Amino acid sequence: MVFILGVNFPERNLKSLEAFFGIGNNTSSRLLARFHIHPTCKVGELANKQVLDITAALSDMKIENDLRRQVLDDIKRLKETGTYRGRRHALGLPVRGQRTRSQIKTAVKANRMERRM
Amino acid sequence: MVSSFCWSCLTRLRSTPRALLPPSVTAPRAAASFHTSSARYALPTKKKNSLDGPPKYREAKSARMKKKKPTDRPRPPPVGERRTLRKRIVLSNPNALEVEGMQDISAETMVDSRLRGSILGLPIPMIAQLRAVQAFKPTQGWSIFRRPGTVVRRETLELGRLIDRISSDGEDKGKAVKKIVTGARGTGKTVHLLQAMAMAFTKKWVVVTVPEPQDLVIANTGYASLSDENPHVYVQNEVTAALLSRTVSANEEVLKKLHVSQPHPDLKSSIKPGMTLEALAKLGIQDPAAAWSVFGALWTELTATSPASGFEKNFNSRPPMLVAVDGLAHWMRNSAYKSAEFEPVHAHDLVFVNHFLSLLKPGSKQSTLPNGGILLYATSASNSPTEYGFEVALKQVAARQAGVKESSPEFPQADPYLRADQRVIDAFNSPKSSVAKEGSVELQTLGGLTREEARGFLEYFARSGLLQENINDEWVGEKWSLAGGGVIGELERLGRRLRTVA
Repeated sequence: MVFILGVNFPERNLKSLEAFFGIGNNTSSRLLARFHIHPTCKVGELANKQVLDITAALSDMKIENDLRRQVLDDIKRLKETGTYRGRRHALGLPVRGQRTRSQIKTAVKANRMERRM
Repeated sequence: MVSSFCWSCLTRLRSTPRALLPPSVTAPRAAASFHTSSARYALPTKKKNSLDGPPKYREAKSARMKKKKPTDRPRPPPVGERRTLRKRIVLSNPNALEVEGMQDISAETMVDSRLRGSILGLPIPMIAQLRAVQAFKPTQGWSIFRRPGTVVRRETLELGRLIDRISSDGEDKGKAVKKIVTGARGTGKTVHLLQAMAMAFTKKWVVVTVPEPQDLVIANTGYASLSDENPHVYVQNEVTAALLSRTVSANEEVLKKLHVSQPHPDLKSSIKPGMTLEALAKLGIQDPAAAWSVFGALWTELTATSPASGFEKNFNSRPPMLVAVDGLAHWMRNSAYKSAEFEPVHAHDLVFVNHFLSLLKPGSKQSTLPNGGILLYATSASNSPTEYGFEVALKQVAARQAGVKESSPEFPQADPYLRADQRVIDAFNSPKSSVAKEGSVELQTLGGLTREEARGFLEYFARSGLLQENINDEWVGEKWSLAGGGVIGELERLGRRLRTVA
């Protein structure tokens, strides 16, 4: 078990980095390259220094709750300024010009007044 | 509707009142023999939905997909088992016949031209060494014969004589020969390397091999910057430790007799005076972080011609070396590693690869192999990425060997529109060495066997009991042609296939 940014990872493949909200394939492979970690490395094989490096790099990035909050704030700002996009968010309708005759389930589900991420 | 029964009679027959009788299921059918109207006007029977039952209150009525039950799959084999099965090398088949009168590779037989076309067995004690340097590949057909053996072909004899001349006292003593072995698929390039290793072991040379160059560039092992001064050169510690352990376990006997004779400032703390080279190499196996500097130290020791001052005690002259690399093309392109800037790392930037490729260039002051030896780098035809620059480089090597001047119009040049990798072309562009004992890079193309060699090879199948066939010149000629002009891999396939004759 290895702690990266306070999260305990089992000794699996380094796909584990993608478990963080806001880190996908691209960011994680760039991060690994920065610290010279090969892509098939297991978490358990990491040297202590590499774990610390990754943790330091991750703590500088906007991920997890910070990122979630930022997204929510952006939506809130749209609503407050009364833009069309903001209104669509508030009404629970699709925001990006989709038709609303059918198939708007995702928008109904996601675009609530109190949106959760 | 007129009943055909007299109700009073019926009530007399059955004492129980009708209302108490359970409703009979067969009743409509019984009535049907007399009347059809009741069955016809009856309400349509409800289809029984036996699976779900009647819809419950406020329940979705749309079709529900039944979840598939997960089927019981057989458990996968434990980690690593499939790999070991795939990589397993079987060198003996107890059902095959023992071939009588088969000789082994030895100092005498490897130069004996009378043995051309016959099969020389690999000596049993040497097999452990050959296994250690991973000379055998799982795809080769060792498992069908009683014991491993190889054909003596023209190239084998030439190689045997060369190894003999380099080790014995003569004008070629201490010569460094550099060869790139190419050829079509199945022409015996890897087995040629194996034969070279076997001969080198008989002559007590030091054998260093890279059996799978692909493993170095597919980013499956760790890498790190070599040092802060040159951050764009990368060292791979685990692979280097594996190389050291291959070298130690194969050459243990030779390395135990050699002692440290040079100062190694990098490893000052761990090297003790009078240490054997075997113990030196084991330092790198135990501590992979130091593996590259240990390998560097081992290399300087093996290429030393005289002891440094202060280390004269028990200095033995170093034996010649055989360096064998199989499947060179993987080293001629970008590796799967990424630099810190997320740029692909060229294989030549890996320090391990760079070391072995730099041996092709002539040494600056002395020969690259000052104690003599052979560099044998083979290409692979079945597992090799297409790399245009490498193709051009090999053509240029062949042209230089044939004596074509670089300025002449016949000298093969890369097509400027095809983006040949200049680094690859430069890696093989080695000028003539200033040292007389050092040869320049040669290209050796392996082709098919001659008919006589093919006959010897097929007779070996027959004498092992695998082939029940009257072997005469006509039959051998037919198989020789079928095998694309004696390509040995194809001949082997034919020999296997013709196992039984009805």
